[in-house]
Amino acid sequence: MAEIIGGLGTSHVPSICVALDKGIDQTPQWKPFFDGYDYPKQWMKEHKPDIAVVIFNDHGNAMFLDRVPTFTVGVADTYKPSDEGWGPRAIPDFAGAEDLGWHFADKLVERHFDPMIAREITVDHGCQVPMELFFGRPEDAWPVKILPIWVNTVQFPIPTPQRCWDMGRVLREAIESFPGDERVVILGTGGLSHQLQGARAGFLNEQADRDWLATFASDPDKWRSMSREDYVEKFGSEGAELIMWLVMRAAMQQEVTVKHTHYHLPASMTGAGCIVLENA
Amino acid sequence: MSDDKTPLADTPLFDRKAGIRGYKLNKMAMSLGEEPNRKAFLADEEAFLDSYGLDAETKAAVMVRDWHEMVRLGGNLFFILKISAIDPTPIIAIGAAQAGMSVEDFMIQRLGKRNG
Repeated sequence: MAEIIGGLGTSHVPSICVALDKGIDQTPQWKPFFDGYDYPKQWMKEHKPDIAVVIFNDHGNAMFLDRVPTFTVGVADTYKPSDEGWGPRAIPDFAGAEDLGWHFADKLVERHFDPMIAREITVDHGCQVPMELFFGRPEDAWPVKILPIWVNTVQFPIPTPQRCWDMGRVLREAIESFPGDERVVILGTGGLSHQLQGARAGFLNEQADRDWLATFASDPDKWRSMSREDYVEKFGSEGAELIMWLVMRAAMQQEVTVKHTHYHLPASMTGAGCIVLENA
Repeated sequence: MSDDKTPLADTPLFDRKAGIRGYKLNKMAMSLGEEPNRKAFLADEEAFLDSYGLDAETKAAVMVRDWHEMVRLGGNLFFILKISAIDPTPIIAIGAAQAGMSVEDFMIQRLGKRNG
């Protein structure tokens, strides 16, 4: 059966792409942020996953408001990067882990979830940024296939933190029952604190971000039992994206080892950072 | 967000009301993810906005790039960022405009930065 080899969480701020595109990732402004990703990059090289499950939200690039699925599972064989208004980016397309995608969709429905199943769709910075941060930018092809999972965090009602957690449990079951010997890494993305809209725009909460990184592994019950309103208040209206890390956390075992955490403030208008977990 | 909960100050959630109010604005902005639409927008912005049926208030907010007003009228940042990509307007300027601050004050007071 396939194996979960680790769970990583990270911000997916679009200006990270821009910094890489412009080659300014080693400037005094950006270097402290990118330095924190040396460890996860090395971890990926050593642990050699075959598939990355990427949990993220679309930001009005692949999905419009004409239909808003709460959860979407990708079953495509290829995903092109979205044009987010700046023109196409010079990164390779992503090969899809379509068989695992279908298997996960089957498991979800068996477990009373109702996902949208997508076979022709682009992936925006929510997926691109974590892949570049953790794998570097490849010349020709990414070293893993991806299984993208989209969570609606844009239009209310967004799913509850508990529901994200529950989906993570099904994700674990799906991977561990998938016939094959693939090594699977799970990337929960979004956050940390930020708010882009309204007079509270620019809201950051370093204390909450540091608390999140410090207790996410050891006390996930605290985070999954919080309300959506609490997430918005504590982390900002867009910082509530952090609920997507819970999908990853729930797919991991109760006992995990924290291999690495990193925090930097601010990256663009957000608190930014990452975590690397292995099952204990 | 449930109606019986006190809304968080200065934090507009993109909910049913905003989604309905801003639908055409967001639809217009979404279309700017395609190059031919960006060209049409640049060639004749007003005609382009009219083709999406924007009301006068919304059209005026877009044309003067009043980001706070666009959000008030139901624009969602993730969509209207595609308008800013055309200009281009940095996201920090959009944040500052909504906070009612100069970019410099916004960077210092909200983002804790001393320089750009």
